[in-house]
Amino acid sequence: MVKKRAFGKLKGREVMVLGIIAAMIILFSFLSPTFRTYPTLVSVLDNSYYITLMALGVTFPLITGGVDLSIGTGLVSYALIGGYLIVHQGVPVGVGILACIGMGVLIGVFNGVLVAVMDLPPFLATLCTCMITRGLGPALCGGFGVSWPSALSESGAFRKIFKFTTANGTVVPIGIIFIVVLVLIMSFVLNHTRVGRYTIAIGSNKEATRLAGVNVKFYHMLAYIISGLFAGLAGVAYAATYATIYPGSGAGFELDAIGGAIVGGVSASGGVGSIIGAFLGVIVICLMKVGLPFIGLQANWQQIFTGLVLIAAVLIDVVKKKK
Amino acid sequence: MEKIKQNALVQKVGFNRIVLIFVLLLMYLMFGLLTGGAFFGFSRIANALNYAYFLGFLSLGVTFVIATGGIDFSIGPVMFCCALVSGYSLTMYGVPMVISLVMSVLIGVLFGTFNGYLVAYWNVPPFIVSMASMNIAKGIAAVFTKTQSVSWPQSSTEDGWYRNFVSVNGFPIGLIVFLLVAVVCAVVLNQTKWGRYILCLGSNEEAVRLSGVNVKRWKMLAYIICGTLVGIASIYFVAAYTTVQPGYGDQYNNEAIAGCVMGGTSMVGGLASISGTVIGVFIISLLQQGILALGFTKEYQYIITGLIVIAAVYADVSARRRKN
Amino acid sequence: MGEVILTMKDIDKSFPGVHALDHVDLEVRKGEVLALMGENGAGKSTLMKVLTGIYKKDSGTITYEGKEVEFKNTREAQDAGIVIVHQELNMLGHLTVAQNLFIGREFKKGIRIDDKKMNEEAKKLFDRLNVNIDPKETMSNLTVGKQQMCEIAKAVSFDAKVIIFDEPSAALTESEIEEMFKIIRDLKKKDIAMVYISHRMDEIKVITDRVTVMRDGTYVGTLITEECTKEDIINMMVGRVIYEDPKTESAVPKDAPVVLKVEHLNAGKMVQDVSFELRKGEILGFSGLMGAGRTETARALFGADPKEGGDIYVNGTKVTINTPQDAVDCGLGYLSEDRKRYGIVVQKTVAQNTSMAFMKNFMKGIFIDKKKEKDVAREYVDALATKTPSVEQLVVNLSGGNQQKVVVAKWLARNSDILIFDEPTRGIDVGAKNEIYKLMNKLVAEGKSIIMISSEMTEILRMSDRIVVMCEGKKTGELDIAEATQESIMNLATREIA
Repeated sequence: MVKKRAFGKLKGREVMVLGIIAAMIILFSFLSPTFRTYPTLVSVLDNSYYITLMALGVTFPLITGGVDLSIGTGLVSYALIGGYLIVHQGVPVGVGILACIGMGVLIGVFNGVLVAVMDLPPFLATLCTCMITRGLGPALCGGFGVSWPSALSESGAFRKIFKFTTANGTVVPIGIIFIVVLVLIMSFVLNHTRVGRYTIAIGSNKEATRLAGVNVKFYHMLAYIISGLFAGLAGVAYAATYATIYPGSGAGFELDAIGGAIVGGVSASGGVGSIIGAFLGVIVICLMKVGLPFIGLQANWQQIFTGLVLIAAVLIDVVKKKK
Repeated sequence: MEKIKQNALVQKVGFNRIVLIFVLLLMYLMFGLLTGGAFFGFSRIANALNYAYFLGFLSLGVTFVIATGGIDFSIGPVMFCCALVSGYSLTMYGVPMVISLVMSVLIGVLFGTFNGYLVAYWNVPPFIVSMASMNIAKGIAAVFTKTQSVSWPQSSTEDGWYRNFVSVNGFPIGLIVFLLVAVVCAVVLNQTKWGRYILCLGSNEEAVRLSGVNVKRWKMLAYIICGTLVGIASIYFVAAYTTVQPGYGDQYNNEAIAGCVMGGTSMVGGLASISGTVIGVFIISLLQQGILALGFTKEYQYIITGLIVIAAVYADVSARRRKN
Repeated sequence: MGEVILTMKDIDKSFPGVHALDHVDLEVRKGEVLALMGENGAGKSTLMKVLTGIYKKDSGTITYEGKEVEFKNTREAQDAGIVIVHQELNMLGHLTVAQNLFIGREFKKGIRIDDKKMNEEAKKLFDRLNVNIDPKETMSNLTVGKQQMCEIAKAVSFDAKVIIFDEPSAALTESEIEEMFKIIRDLKKKDIAMVYISHRMDEIKVITDRVTVMRDGTYVGTLITEECTKEDIINMMVGRVIYEDPKTESAVPKDAPVVLKVEHLNAGKMVQDVSFELRKGEILGFSGLMGAGRTETARALFGADPKEGGDIYVNGTKVTINTPQDAVDCGLGYLSEDRKRYGIVVQKTVAQNTSMAFMKNFMKGIFIDKKKEKDVAREYVDALATKTPSVEQLVVNLSGGNQQKVVVAKWLARNSDILIFDEPTRGIDVGAKNEIYKLMNKLVAEGKSIIMISSEMTEILRMSDRIVVMCEGKKTGELDIAEATQESIMNLATREIA
């Protein structure tokens, strides 16, 4: 039932992004025979997990008309803290994962208070949190890189949620199942629960929502908490996908997620957006990331393209609004 | 309190700025005492300042943008892009030093124009433009340098004269240049048509438009001024550090905005003070030096700077709320 | 006629400098539609705001269903069954119709919002009201009329016993109004009491049972609609006030040159084919009721909003005005009704605001000639008798009348010859009003020409040499001051359905 609703009615924008994805795959495959291989698919997916998770979360602040810039440096710092607890303090992996997610929620609450209660401009408040989280991980963990337990060790089982290697060595990217389930859940939350409804209402007309008797502060804050929660989850995904987490990295990760969400039709001025769209948008970004080297362009071209695509996506909205 | 505020001298300098200067002195004293005197001394300060001028230029630049009620947090990565592209041209393609320096500034101007055009003429939200520019700047820098870090010439080499912009035998040329540029900025902001329109449109864009002023042009100009100063900042960055690595630069956004907000420039636009920004930048760099001198790592700098900006912005927001 | 459900007695309310409601009475009965009429500023909206708890009354009693009540906010009034349908819509454009109707009180099935049930309930509600709106449609896709229906449906869904319509028809088309009337008649049958605020005389005759008229914050009287004529109501609305030296004839010589000629100006629904001429030294009054399209005409003329067509001639030469810049270059100056938003930069000084429109004139090389700026500002402060401690005072600290003078100074400093005063005395106290009037007379005596938009009949009759009357975006007439009376203006300003 839920699935049918979520996939039954794709909006125009989502169909358009699907078309872009198809076009990109065809283009890359055409230009580079090596692109059409199973490892490439796995690589695209591997790269997409943490970005998708961030995008699922940040869609909520974006729909309220705000933004959360702290998720990129945040996820790295949460993963550092979780990893530090596991590797250096000997806590069980499960606790480390919970710590990672918990830190995300905590920072989400912090952002929520800044924006919803103290009424600070979201981009500035979360830019500050971005700095704070950047320092937080290394400050708490001594400034060294951390490697979560490897997939080979017993405690590295959590990595198998994302990538399962069968006995004969075939890699199965089962993380996609996990991601799809979360996409469906969050799509449900956005479209069929009060949380989602009021998130959209706040982005649409905050004052009218308040006059309707909705606890606007609470739901506004909740959007940032969801964003933080998913940054925490993204931290786990990042730790599971990559061998080592380096302190000081993570700046700019948020752009892939926010860019993906906006490409997928989430409006930069609030009120509009879908989780499915954000997910598809992220796939576009990840395809660029993985695909461009196949056609002879450095991976960094992706950054330039992401920037341009972001502006193009917003310009579509601006021009539409003018009409 | 009111009496102090009405004193002629205090009125002329501005109460807030006097408070800021006190904060600055107090912090200096505090760090000095906490580090057992090691923090005092002119050479130490001058040395520390060498690494702070670029931040000052960034702050001055972003002051203009914030004065219009916008924001630009692409300045850090754009500065790196300037330094990397021109530095790579210098070291790998043998472009003459002078031209490299001019290139640095021009790239900054280019980015400023790009940002300003999108914000002013296309109504793209400034934070989206900032994000996009940041990505594009990082991407261009990385692609151009093939993800290699760039080392600008050392002082001893023939082309090393550019480092004199910062200091010559311990004499702080950089300080003089920075203060001179600050004075020029203050004059532009307070004594010319450009600054007048930038401040007024930050305060009430519609009223200025209805006075028959081409607000779009002046808004774009603020971003171009910012871009120019970012270009100059890049020169001061390499003159101090010589080595630039692609993919970084984000952290300076916040520090620059921090200096600006500390100095009393309002985040909603319309109110900006160059002298405030100058003092603000000194406070931020002193703070950072102090944190390091006390034996903390730069991570703590990030955290504390972040918290300070939040506090400063909150003070601004609640002051505005009280007024209404 | 039904029993009385709501009585407001002796309601008194003052704002600083304004006695907004002076012991006003109002009585509403079950199953009737009571028209509440009066000129702009007569106190109708204030009275309704007092009723629904937006304003606190100074004295008087409100009796509702036999008990004395005092609501603290709209929500409390709503819960008690008194709902107001606002002129501006409080809608969430991105949500669907049903989602809007039930915002804040969604039906739920577990944690899931039961959109299906909400759609069904909305459908039922619409069926009951005989309106054809798809509950699943996105709100922003509806016409303004349909959005208004949704607001009414929402009010009904609260089990309202008293519904207040605040100029509900302002943005509606003919057929939409018909549809709304059908709903209102249905509601009447269900014994719901309604207060209908409107300026449209014909509507009043069609839909209401009684008419209560207010003037200048006082209660004038109540008439049975069937038994009275349009003239009766107009007479009650305008009263018989004696005006301070009203103009009896135009002071402008017949052969004065035309400085501004506007032909067939079109800009959206609110400006349809407006043409007029302005002569040198003339004050051309623009009269009409709220929403008649006067401000829109001025803004389109000034280039502040885009226009679809029309020719403008300044001193006989055809000009193109697409932006305020063009207008200013042609010698036009616009003084908005909302000074704080459109007129002045409040956080800047008197001097800085004075020079704003003509920086070119205050430059010494690349620098601003601050001495000249202050001197000129001081000149105008003296000439206009602006009360300010110095020209370096921030405008935010001045009173409304003095802020207005700063805006005037801005245009005078720009040498603008044609000034558009949009509600020049709104929010200005009586003493300052007279000063503004004197100033305007002085300006025309000096050869400037003025277009004055005003909703105050006394102001129009006192100041204008000629009067253009607008209604619903169209010019409905032009009167010379010699022949203009309140009644003749009001007749042109209220709409007649053919």
